[in-house]
Amino acid sequence: MYAMIKVEGLTRVYGTFTAVDDVSFTAEAGKVTGFLGPNGAGKSTTMRIMVGLTNPTKGRATINGSLYADLPNPGRHVGVLLDASAQHDGRTGREVLTLAAMTMGLPKSRVDEMLELVSLTPSEAKRRIKNYSLGMKQRLGIAHALIGDPKVLILDEPANGLDPAGIRWMRGLLKEYADRGGTVLLSSHLLHEVEQIADELILIGNGRIVAEGTKDTILASQGTAGQSLVTSLDNEALTVALKAKGYSVEPLGTGMRVSAAPAEVGRAALESNVVLTDLRDGGAGLEDIFLQLTAETQRENVAQIHAEGVSA
Amino acid sequence: MSAVSVAPSTPLPAVTKVPFGRLLLVEWRKMTDTRAGRALLIISAGMLLLAMGIVVLVAALNDNFSLGLSTWSSILTIPLSLLTPVLAIMIVTQEWGQRTNMVTFSLEPSRLRVMAAKLVAVVAFALALIAVALLCGIVGNALAAAVGGYDASWSIDGQVLGWTIAQQLLYFVSAFGIAMCLLSTPFSIVVVYVDQLLLPLMVWSTLYFIFDWAADLIPFIDMGYAMSPFMGAGGMMPDGTQLPDPGTQEVLALICSIFLWVVVPVVLGAYRVLKSEVK
Ligand SMILES: Nc1ncnc2c1ncn2[C@@H]1O[C@H](COP(=O)(O)OP(=O)(O)OP(=O)(O)O)[C@@H](O)[C@H]1O
Ligand SMILES: [Mg+2]
Repeated sequence: MYAMIKVEGLTRVYGTFTAVDDVSFTAEAGKVTGFLGPNGAGKSTTMRIMVGLTNPTKGRATINGSLYADLPNPGRHVGVLLDASAQHDGRTGREVLTLAAMTMGLPKSRVDEMLELVSLTPSEAKRRIKNYSLGMKQRLGIAHALIGDPKVLILDEPANGLDPAGIRWMRGLLKEYADRGGTVLLSSHLLHEVEQIADELILIGNGRIVAEGTKDTILASQGTAGQSLVTSLDNEALTVALKAKGYSVEPLGTGMRVSAAPAEVGRAALESNVVLTDLRDGGAGLEDIFLQLTAETQRENVAQIHAEGVSA
Repeated sequence: MSAVSVAPSTPLPAVTKVPFGRLLLVEWRKMTDTRAGRALLIISAGMLLLAMGIVVLVAALNDNFSLGLSTWSSILTIPLSLLTPVLAIMIVTQEWGQRTNMVTFSLEPSRLRVMAAKLVAVVAFALALIAVALLCGIVGNALAAAVGGYDASWSIDGQVLGWTIAQQLLYFVSAFGIAMCLLSTPFSIVVVYVDQLLLPLMVWSTLYFIFDWAADLIPFIDMGYAMSPFMGAGGMMPDGTQLPDPGTQEVLALICSIFLWVVVPVVLGAYRVLKSEVK
């Protein structure tokens, strides 16, 4: 079944403040879509609207063509993890899953299956949520989202609080899930986290989508592809050779920045018999683009971060 | 990390709309699966037993003391009316306080169905508690008669009993509605106790005796006063005089007070629950 999330012109206004501003995108089946943006960008608000917990001011979000509220037994279609700590302190982990299984009409065996999946031991499952660590709550939340074997996952910062092994495990799990044809939408404000698992990225800042697509198309669309940083034993000869090919060259530290892809620079060096000591992609990384695009919403001075990034 | 697959080991049942009965079972379970929930139940049972024990003790110690089943039922109404509103409030406000409403409403997006399941579950619970209270009354009546050395009186006025139960349930639904309006445990408990206990005992009763107009007005704004004329033969006015038979004005007062304290809070509360942002 072709399951996907479609968001159309979604807007949410609080008083005079627009938290989500005309957001449209689709998250396709078989893919992991990363929803990326700085703090307060509107990721959680968008996700709450998707599952009907917040009413949109305008626009709509549909799962497979229907509104979340119209899905029969929605837990069986969509796995939702919005806030792992939104559970009753006094319930045990097992009880939380049991209540979910009861509501969805699942056999009790599914609870044990999920506990095993997220590596919560039987004795941990008997503990009250009050005594859970952040990562244990997160694991329980993931189990809760997966228990109904849904076709779509909506996860708000699922890696929050997981240890490195846990993050790797979750990455594998979501990949497997998407490979089976599932749709995954996950949010994060950490680029590195999302970059590694997301097939598609949606960048949001100040409630607006600032870029979307695969990592490569975003890089290309921002016109930062085709830049190299190069250092050689004879920079002057190389500069002449590069300029002859029509590229611009500017000195940078002990080397140069060239407006050509590393392959072109390498070819020029080969042709002019210059020994390279260092050659790498000089295009702005995804992180630079992310910071630039969401600049107005950043709390910190981006220029400063940039300066540090270059000198480092 | 485990290599367990996400896919279910055995096929899961077909997807159908969540039936109301299942929501009901889940809400019933939620009342008892936390320490706080269980504590409330134990306190409820404990208070009923305590009230029963005290009366039996009084019967044992006093020679010329005897009481019948109808007196028992009015004595045991006291711990009930103290406790059941808390149950009705908690089943609503806890979801907001602990933020479990995010999970509850994402598993069943129809918030009205969830609230209806909660109401039915908690009313069933209140009825069970009333049944336990009646049982306590029967056992207590027999016990008191045995230790007090008198013949137990088993007469009880059906009308009084019926209205007593109706009154408890109306107070109960009123508390449920107020909880939906306020969505906060402490605020709701304060408002409900002021409305159901403090005002009738401290304020209305005083006004009732001092001003003539108060005697006419109060039944329109207080369910307890509105219902007392219907309690039949056993019913008494707050000043101890026998009740007149209820006429048109009494019926109007009853309708008005129920509208004010049951219909209005439930409708406003349902509206708030429907419209509010869950986060
Ligand atoms: N009820 C509300 N009233 C006013 N403003 C609100 C309300 N709810 C959310 N906001 C604002 O909407 C904006 C978006 O918040 P949201 O939680 O969606 O951000 P986010 O992208 O999830 O951020 P984070 O990465 O920190 O989780 C924030 O500025 C927040 O303060
Ligand atoms: Mg958020």
